[in-house]
Amino acid sequence: MGRHSDDRAPTDGAPRDDRPVIAHARALVKTYGTGDTTVRALAGIDVDFVRGELTAIMGPSGSGKSTLMHCMAGLDDATSGTVVVDGEDVSGMSERQRTRLRRTRLGFVFQAYNLVPTLTAAENITLPLDIARRAVDRDHFDAVVDAVGLRDRLHHRPNELSGGQQQRVACARALVSRPAVVFADEPTGNLDSRSSGEVLAFLRRSVDDLGQSVVMVTHDPSAAAVAHRVVFLADGRLVGELAHPTADTILDALRELG
Amino acid sequence: MLRVTLRGIRAHLVRFVLSVLAVTLGVAFVAGTYSLRAMLASTFSEIVASSLTGDVYVRGSEPAGASSPLGTLGESRNAIPLDLADDVAAVDGVDLALPDLAGPAVLVGADGTAVSQGQAPSFAQSLDPRDPAVSVAAGRAPSGPDEVALASETLEASGLALGDRTSAVIGGELRTVAVVGEVEFGAPLAGATVVFVDVPTATAAYAPGGLVETITVHAEPGVDARALAERLDAVVSAEADAETITGDRLRADARAEIDEALGFVETFLLVFAGISLFVGAFIIANTFAMSVRQRMRELALLRALGASPAQVFASILVQAAVIGLVGSALGVVAGFGLVTLLREVLGRFGMSLSGEIPLDGYTVTVSLVVGTVMSVVAAAVPARRAALTAPVEAMRDDVVVQERTLRWRALVGSVLTLGGAVAVVLAVRRPEASGGTVLGVGAAAVLVGMLLLAPVVARASLRVLAAPLVATIRPLGRLARGNVTRNPRRTANTAGALMIGMALVGASAVLAASAQGSTRSIVAEASTADLILRSAAGDVPVEALAGAREVEGVVAADAVTLGSVLLAEAGRGPGSGPGEGSTDPTTVVGIDPDAFGRTMAIEATEGSLDRLADGEVAIQRAEAEDTGWGIGTELEVTSSTGRASVVVGAVIDSPAIPAPVVLPEPLFAELVPAEQAAVNLVFVKAEPGTDLGELRESLTDVVAPFVVVSVLDNDEFASELAAQVDQVLVILYALLGLSVVIAILGIVNTLALSVIERTREIGLMRAVGLGRLQLAGTVAIESVLTALFGTVVGVAVGVALASAMPSVFADVGLGTLVVPWDTVGWILVLAVVVGVLAAIWPGIRAARLPVLEAVTVD
Repeated sequence: MGRHSDDRAPTDGAPRDDRPVIAHARALVKTYGTGDTTVRALAGIDVDFVRGELTAIMGPSGSGKSTLMHCMAGLDDATSGTVVVDGEDVSGMSERQRTRLRRTRLGFVFQAYNLVPTLTAAENITLPLDIARRAVDRDHFDAVVDAVGLRDRLHHRPNELSGGQQQRVACARALVSRPAVVFADEPTGNLDSRSSGEVLAFLRRSVDDLGQSVVMVTHDPSAAAVAHRVVFLADGRLVGELAHPTADTILDALRELG
Repeated sequence: MLRVTLRGIRAHLVRFVLSVLAVTLGVAFVAGTYSLRAMLASTFSEIVASSLTGDVYVRGSEPAGASSPLGTLGESRNAIPLDLADDVAAVDGVDLALPDLAGPAVLVGADGTAVSQGQAPSFAQSLDPRDPAVSVAAGRAPSGPDEVALASETLEASGLALGDRTSAVIGGELRTVAVVGEVEFGAPLAGATVVFVDVPTATAAYAPGGLVETITVHAEPGVDARALAERLDAVVSAEADAETITGDRLRADARAEIDEALGFVETFLLVFAGISLFVGAFIIANTFAMSVRQRMRELALLRALGASPAQVFASILVQAAVIGLVGSALGVVAGFGLVTLLREVLGRFGMSLSGEIPLDGYTVTVSLVVGTVMSVVAAAVPARRAALTAPVEAMRDDVVVQERTLRWRALVGSVLTLGGAVAVVLAVRRPEASGGTVLGVGAAAVLVGMLLLAPVVARASLRVLAAPLVATIRPLGRLARGNVTRNPRRTANTAGALMIGMALVGASAVLAASAQGSTRSIVAEASTADLILRSAAGDVPVEALAGAREVEGVVAADAVTLGSVLLAEAGRGPGSGPGEGSTDPTTVVGIDPDAFGRTMAIEATEGSLDRLADGEVAIQRAEAEDTGWGIGTELEVTSSTGRASVVVGAVIDSPAIPAPVVLPEPLFAELVPAEQAAVNLVFVKAEPGTDLGELRESLTDVVAPFVVVSVLDNDEFASELAAQVDQVLVILYALLGLSVVIAILGIVNTLALSVIERTREIGLMRAVGLGRLQLAGTVAIESVLTALFGTVVGVAVGVALASAMPSVFADVGLGTLVVPWDTVGWILVLAVVVGVLAAIWPGIRAARLPVLEAVTVD
């Protein structure tokens, strides 16, 4: 892939410079089923995610991009290989340790159904802190709430919020505990373009202004264009990557992969 | 459509398991009740067949007070002369004419205590060697006053062996007897203690006046019983007020009477079975409501594909019917098994019952129908909801289930609750105007009203209940509160099932405590005795009474003696006037007129108790109100031995007197022969200055040989009576227990189903770091909140309604209201325990949900 652009990095997924890696996977394999029906969702992936960057994972349906994210985030067990997040070996962790990891070091934004319907927006935002019985840092909370522009919606229930607002609450929740990494799984998948723009802008700002690290799975080139870097997956393998992407370069890359 | 319906059950089998179980338990109760009745009926039928073996019976021709303290078979009649048997025996075609001599007896077993099985009777009867009904299986027939034979079961229960000597109280007289024979009765005795004595002994003990209730006639072979009865009728009616009845008729009458008695037991049990089924219906309704809610899209798709609302409606009902049918079938088996088990257990304890437990078509049919109909009815509302699903729902991305308004529920519930409350208050204010009925209707209205109101008040109530948990257990308390308040209808329905059981438990607790409190205050008010003699067998042997009177330091031993007569206003005759209740005998007590003021502090509300010394009688105020009798009313008293005219001289209002009419002792003795009277209690007054401890010891020495008689002071006496209430309470709790168990299943059901329903939400919370234990903890708090809500409302309603009863039923001895707060406290603790237990399985299920599947579920 290196022949397309000087910006392109080697396909081993290593960062282009010496900036610190917040999470990486080595020889990551994930298979489902046994015997004839075995499906290789991840066929041996090596990838690094850089601290203080927004990394997008792209690929066609069934390429394994969501599985990669689930394995990185300790939501799913890899069949073999290593996953290290913020210096901790996730692959060797018990369920209890992984719960702890998710609670203290990770933030999540899912495509849909991000909020607990019985809690207000504010309660949803502080839920991970409440679960961990950690005190809420009011200044940080205010900063995050203002950044997502939800000050006047804090006491509303999820069903009183629009889809975009819900997704912004989810982003605020993912950031309020100052996680090492935020994993976002198609965060704009269900949103109209305006709401998408708001959410993506916020994710990017959280990286630029708050120094957050974000990994985002998406199939939308315009969403991926917000990222610092895009990695491409196909058939469970890492097949390319693109730094400082634009929608056009991404489309080119996809066309080439397709 | 049917295929879709049945597949629906198969696909969600787990979801319906608890619904099936709820039906099973309820129907098991129904089927068990019918089987139990059938088993008891066949047991008693066998007893009738083997104890009433005569071809013809001779009995009194006039209705009279019940003559046997044992309770008689057939209507009560006048007694007939014993020697009528000789005239009967002389008639052509008569093989044998045996007077029936039997009465209460106490047998002392090998362990030195009375042989008895619960409430089963203990009696002695004559053993005529010629009697074909009984056969001596081992040893020989008793002969002389000091020998007895025992029925096989009694022998086994007593631990005695042939040749042993023991004590027995026969005809009120304590004697030392030798066990000389074992008698085969030919039927299971159902726990009765049966002692056989020879004819002269039985005659002396149970027919000292030469009168018996019946004479059993055995015909010579080949003689037609009906023709013989007619021939005999002419003979006996000429000699005495007597008539004949064929054995077949008498046995049929006896069976009919037993059937009627068992019918009451059956109805009583069915009420509780009905409560269990009603509670079970809540589970089914909830299950289907949740299933419909979850399958909205599937149902909408069916509608979009052309299924009519009626078809959707029917498909849900068919599912309900299948669940009902399966549950009922299991229930029939379970009920049958339960009764079999019960029979085995009772058999172990010496209470042999019939070996046959007939499982007839009627039982099976009724059980299946009841279970299925209940299930279908319970599912009707959710089914209607399913039928109204708009096809467009199928196209929607996420289905928003609209919560129906609670306005109608609030309105109807409030009207019922308030109306019921007004009725209860009215009943309390004016108990005389059929207060009992008004109270009952009012209480039912309040309970149903509260069930309807439960979802309306659920949110606010649960917030209050949850407040301490929200504050202390963060963030689980808040999450759990959110879960139980998000669908108040569901939470309230789940809690409602428990509410019913807990309302009844709360009411029972208050009633029992009030009954006990009332008993204590009645004893404290009415008894001025120093000591009281009481018998565990029901009556104090006359000899023990006589012995007590001889003890030094005893000024008076006043007996309260129970008997039975027919009462009618003079000139109307028994059975002719209104209010007298045809030939129903009235229980009367005989009391020494001097006892009033000496050992009993009872005052007349009208007239004077002094007039009892002149042979006048006293009646209870309630009886006076029922009959319209008052001071000066002339009454005709008919007993099995005679007739007398008496005047009402006093009206009393004392629950301490266990009968509506008090006869002065001389009159009582005249009307009720000694063998038909039962000394209920003896109130002992000590000479002033006597050491009560010593007196008690001497009295105890006197009554000790009678085994069953105990000497008590007033407090102990009240406590013993209170203990009887406790026994009843235990039975009530056991019967209500099943409905509570089903209600707990309901909580498990709702929690488990809502865990399935909330899979995504649970996955989300697990993804953002909620631990498994925390998740299970949340489920447990939800469960406890639901259980507490149901219990608090239920107990509050039950206690409040039961609190009205003492005011309404003061005239039947329930005058003191006691709310057992400690019991109420324990019930609440129990609710918490129940909540935690109910959460175990759903909690584990929730904790085991894989996070990823939960997050990615469709």
